[in-house]
Amino acid sequence: MNKISISFNLNGQPRSIEVYPNRRVVDLLREDFGLTSVKEGCAEGECGACTVIVNGEAVTTCCMLAGQVDQATVITLEGLAQNGELDLIQKCFLEAGAVQCGYCTPGMILTAKALLMKNPVPAEDEIKIAMSGNLCRCTGYEKIHAAVNKAAQLNREALKSGGETIG
Amino acid sequence: MKAFNFFSPTSLDEAKNLLSQYQESVAIVAGGTDIVIELNEGHANPDTVINIKRLKFLEYIRLDEGVLHIGALTTFDMISKSNLIKDKVRVLYDAARKVGSPQIRCLGTIGGNLSTASVAGDGVSAMMTLKASVVLESKTGQRVMSLADFLAGTGVSNRNALRADEILTEVFFKLPNEKTATAFYKLAKRKSLAISVIGAGMLVEVDDVGICTDVSMRGGCLARYPLHFKEAEEHLRGRKISRELLEETLPMLHDAVYESAKSRPWSVFYKKESVQGVYGHLFDSILEQLEGKINE
Repeated sequence: MNKISISFNLNGQPRSIEVYPNRRVVDLLREDFGLTSVKEGCAEGECGACTVIVNGEAVTTCCMLAGQVDQATVITLEGLAQNGELDLIQKCFLEAGAVQCGYCTPGMILTAKALLMKNPVPAEDEIKIAMSGNLCRCTGYEKIHAAVNKAAQLNREALKSGGETIG
Repeated sequence: MKAFNFFSPTSLDEAKNLLSQYQESVAIVAGGTDIVIELNEGHANPDTVINIKRLKFLEYIRLDEGVLHIGALTTFDMISKSNLIKDKVRVLYDAARKVGSPQIRCLGTIGGNLSTASVAGDGVSAMMTLKASVVLESKTGQRVMSLADFLAGTGVSNRNALRADEILTEVFFKLPNEKTATAFYKLAKRKSLAISVIGAGMLVEVDDVGICTDVSMRGGCLARYPLHFKEAEEHLRGRKISRELLEETLPMLHDAVYESAKSRPWSVFYKKESVQGVYGHLFDSILEQLEGKINE
């Protein structure tokens, strides 16, 4: 088996690597790049724990081969904080107490982030649909929804006062 | 995961040549939501994997002279965000937006859904309801066939007519007209992240006075391929559509499901009953859509 060469933008940095083509993206990110926020849960696209943002969309990386992110833009949880400051959605998760065991949290936050990137002020229904692909066995979801709602609300207020959205 | 050679062609000709060259043992990956899991679990062990995601020109939803053409690489997310499909093809809209999860809908493609041809493929059920056709391409030429013939075919996988050197490039169907209502209902354990228990579609076309001029009823997960409710269709065709008439077909649906699935008593016991509830929802949607379109 020949290695393939892939180049992509990972958390704002151009990266290139030679990998075996039978590597999944979840393994590429965890093993080759050490980004252990990317969690493997069910390994069949049914839990959302391995979600990252690829070209602006939240996708499950257990269903993707490494060669499929060639030329793509990938954001993992490690790429959200800027200059040591957490992203708005991370702060909202902290404030809402939306984390218990934490295993689903990176996927949850990135799914929420992808939604806010496309629509900074999502309605409650839109949040529920967007978050429906991430399972959590601890929290009961209420606080997770509250966190995403809070981010949407802060964005709404920022827009109203003429400022820029933060999420 | 077994070792394989990997190619990402950028033109259809290149893809067809690769398929022809490696057809002995090859798999195509589009969205990957089925095949990558099969590869990872060792259920698929091809020597060569061809990633067709670079063939961006196969992502389209195009209306041409009353026929809606959908490129094989169009994702369920794209389908569920098309206003044309939302307004005119409810059966496909409702099927697409219930597939898997938001993440899966961003990856999974309609071409992959039809090529995999799972028993529980909601895209298969919706497209059969619409009496769609598919386009298959290979180095040796193009084949166009009805989806029904495609599913009945025995190609490389016995799932459908697809040969090892072929790629499904398009699915197309007649756009439902103003006097046509369509609907899809997915019965599953949860709203999201759950495989269909029944994924059923319905299409009803009426004339100016409400007489049924065309009808299509297909139930996914009730047979190897979406179950064709022929007796119920015949009961409706040529008659004036009303709730009473629609409900007269419920025992026929019950019997059809029983006949189809009686070798699986653990499943048919539930499905012969629940299919009636599923179609109850579909009748509601069909009647609501036809309201105001019939001159009383």
